Amino acid sequence: MKRTDRARTWALGIWSTAALLYLFIPIFIVVLFSFNNNKGRFNFTWHGFTWRHWAHPFSNPDLATALKNSLEIAAISTVIATALGTFMALALVRYGFRGRGATDMFVFLPLATPEVVLGAALLALFLTLNVNTGFVTIVIAHVMFNISYVVVTVKARLEGMDQYIEEAAMDLGAGVWATFWRVTLPVIAPGVASAALLAAALSVDDYVITSFNAGQTLTFPLFIFGATRQGVPPEVNVLATGLLFVVLILLALNVVVQRARGRREAAVAAVPAVVGAPANA
Amino acid sequence: MPHDDLDGIVERMLDGSEHSRRQFIRHLAAAGLLVGPGSAFLAACGGVKGESSGKKASAVAHHPKVPIGNWTFSNWPLYIDKSVLKSFDKKYGGHVKYVEDINDNFEFFGKIRQQLQAGKPIGRDMIVVTDYLAGRLVRDGFVEAIDKSNVPNFKNLVPNLQTINYDPKRNFSLPWQSGATGIGVNTAKVKRKITSIKDLFDPAFKGRVSFLSEPYDSAGLVLLMQGIDPTHATLDQINKAIDKIAEAQKSGQIRRFTGNDYSTDLTKGNLWIAVAYSGDLVQLQADNPHLEFVYPEEGAMLFTDNMMLPQKSQHPYAAETMMNYVYDPQVAAKIAAYVNYISPVQGVKEILLKNQPKLANNPLIFPPPDIVKKLHPYPSLSSADEREMEARMAQVTGA
Amino acid sequence: MLRLSLRRRRQLLPYLFLGPGLVWLVVFFLIPILNQSYVSLESGNADIGYSFSWNWSVYSDAVSSYHTQFTRSLIYAGAATVIDLIIAFPLAYFIAFKAGRLRNFMLLLIVLPFFTSYLVRTVSWQLILSDNGWVVDRLRDVGLVSSNGRLLATSTAVIAGIAYNFLPFMALPLYVSLEKIDRRLIEAATDLYASRATAFRKVTLPLALPGVFAGSLLTFIPAVGDYINALLLGTPNQYMIGNVIQSKFLNILDYPSAAALSFMLMGVILIGIAIYARLLGTRSLTEAAAA
Repeated sequence: MKRTDRARTWALGIWSTAALLYLFIPIFIVVLFSFNNNKGRFNFTWHGFTWRHWAHPFSNPDLATALKNSLEIAAISTVIATALGTFMALALVRYGFRGRGATDMFVFLPLATPEVVLGAALLALFLTLNVNTGFVTIVIAHVMFNISYVVVTVKARLEGMDQYIEEAAMDLGAGVWATFWRVTLPVIAPGVASAALLAAALSVDDYVITSFNAGQTLTFPLFIFGATRQGVPPEVNVLATGLLFVVLILLALNVVVQRARGRREAAVAAVPAVVGAPANA
Repeated sequence: MPHDDLDGIVERMLDGSEHSRRQFIRHLAAAGLLVGPGSAFLAACGGVKGESSGKKASAVAHHPKVPIGNWTFSNWPLYIDKSVLKSFDKKYGGHVKYVEDINDNFEFFGKIRQQLQAGKPIGRDMIVVTDYLAGRLVRDGFVEAIDKSNVPNFKNLVPNLQTINYDPKRNFSLPWQSGATGIGVNTAKVKRKITSIKDLFDPAFKGRVSFLSEPYDSAGLVLLMQGIDPTHATLDQINKAIDKIAEAQKSGQIRRFTGNDYSTDLTKGNLWIAVAYSGDLVQLQADNPHLEFVYPEEGAMLFTDNMMLPQKSQHPYAAETMMNYVYDPQVAAKIAAYVNYISPVQGVKEILLKNQPKLANNPLIFPPPDIVKKLHPYPSLSSADEREMEARMAQVTGA
Repeated sequence: MLRLSLRRRRQLLPYLFLGPGLVWLVVFFLIPILNQSYVSLESGNADIGYSFSWNWSVYSDAVSSYHTQFTRSLIYAGAATVIDLIIAFPLAYFIAFKAGRLRNFMLLLIVLPFFTSYLVRTVSWQLILSDNGWVVDRLRDVGLVSSNGRLLATSTAVIAGIAYNFLPFMALPLYVSLEKIDRRLIEAATDLYASRATAFRKVTLPLALPGVFAGSLLTFIPAVGDYINALLLGTPNQYMIGNVIQSKFLNILDYPSAAALSFMLMGVILIGIAIYARLLGTRSLTEAAAA
């Protein structure tokens, strides 16, 4: 039993590694070509290794601005969308209320709508309301399509989960906020985190909806799309690679912090035992 | 973009001049559309009839000299050496806001159409658009005339572009850059010499050919192949040319229809022979020296992107000063060296011969006179004919 | 705040939670979309403008002219979704059950490629799948590609591109629902002499169904409306309905037709979702009955 178990684990592990490698194949190319000593404006043929693009990644000021915009927009829209979406998911799964089925369907609709329609329709709204298209409208658009993704992801986490722990907490006198912070949130945290990550990635990468509502603000994908017409500069590869590394480092840091906190909490919990008093909850 | 007065409102926003909500509603009311605040939205988005104003813009303009100030210049990406903008600001004062938001002519027209049709400024003082859009703007009276007294360097315009079918006296347009639509070849894959448009239909290259999805380019070349002058072709002849392309697509001869994105495939040898733009090939050759640009013996299409003053441009004098500036051969040489398309300014080749002889002798950037004779501008079609042509081509390209 | 009774508080809660998000969606999604339905019934063109005319024929024209692209989009998206399910399920299972401390890291790896641009990734595939590139040459050696065949500019490339770009959408929801399965249920099943396979079939799989549902939808739906993969990796014979809508909106400027096509697409998708939901719901019912 144990041997087949281990064999199964190995098989799954190999499959997973292969799947992840597959996901990264084009990324390797992107990273590789950031070191290409390209001639002319195009970057398709390998001409040799060079560091020069890495030496001056922000030499193109428009590209740097575009990237900065994308990151800011992603940060803001992710926070808003994750908050709004998580609460919606909670409402839809935990509570029965009139119109729940309809709301369920409604939340799906943005996902069922082609991006071209979403973008164009939203632009129509902004125009009639005399709203300047630019940074803010991009954020609004991104929150709009991200809410649905967050709801769906968090719902998948919530469904089938023990819903009575919250009732139990409230019966024991915990207020609504306390219940949410100390009972609900920790349990759904993985789902919320996944949703947030997905929302951020979608925001950074969005082209179609953004192009309709960007006005004269440039985002990273918009810059690249404009540039593909005349040749994507290697600086794009450099920045894309850099972005990947930054995210990797941020999350590695997060893991370290979590582990340190875990160790600290374990130490704190162990103190009473050491001191000889009964451990308190 | 998707709607009648949407784009209009966008542009009003972009140009920064504050049109209050009240003013907007007043306009709606005047147009008899205001039904109530809640339905203003729906009404506004549904019932406004756009108009091509039908009036011809006055061909005479007088734009007095004023301080340059802050003005907006819309162009295609990677179409200027940015240091030119800096030196312009330094020389004349003021500050040019340079926006690279033109990626496709029809897409751009969709953005500004509503505003134009409502007679409002579009938030840009100068734009650069290709011939067929330029023609439409002139026809519909959506552009201001250029005050030539502010552009003395106008005399440097190359002879073959001094007149054009939609703007015979060049009152409304001034070429920015030209380019040729010809044939790009990957000589590593294609061993024999390519000389003719017929080569695109050679069955030996089946599945290795690409055409541009823009019918002005693709149908134009086919017309040349058929011995018809594309600049004066009728819609009927153009439609037949498109049908020929459709045939080739169905038989698998044509692998893809592209915008500028034939570049990857051609470089990698997935495409062996492509309808391509001259300017792209100059850069692609640096990446892959096996690539070649061929001016077909029947002739090639010549496209020109033109500087124009959109209606109600707020800083026409600034725009004209820029036009004059880029027609100084020294400045034009700088731009040509960066952009690698065909400069419309005389004297540029001589300047580049001195320090960049390779560029100066590149026939893609400075086509010799016998080639120039065989370069044909796009036909000037009515809006209805153009729409029909584009729709017919869209059927072929699958979209 | 008033000291509301526990019961009252609980009654208000869902609306409180729902409120902000719902308002956002209504204002920035529902209203604009309803307006688009209005647009679809207009007639006219870019030169003379558009006016509302109850032009229902735009819908029948849409079907007759573009049913090929519609069908094709559904097939491509369906194939890509199935492929993604096959690839992602073992991956999600591994991360949820076997990865331990590597779990967050692997999840991050799944999402990381998204932080490079969609376009850059797809162009990279163009380079990789090049007719004379290393990959296609090896495939020719193995016989998967004919000697004068190609991988690019075929339906295979387009489906592969779609599957590739939407894999994280399948993997994440799958992981989320697998992860919360109580291990003790599986333990209990095996304690009761079920084989691992049976335990998987009767315990794990049904509990993972919400994730399968969510993942499939999150993959299929945007895939149906996609156009970039078809544009860069395919030929006009592979163009999807997204390409048509894009072209009509941006190049032809035929807004009524584009809006009509968009609505038809949405309609088809919604019907598909309803059918799928019904199917999944029925299946878990029958399994519970059989157990």
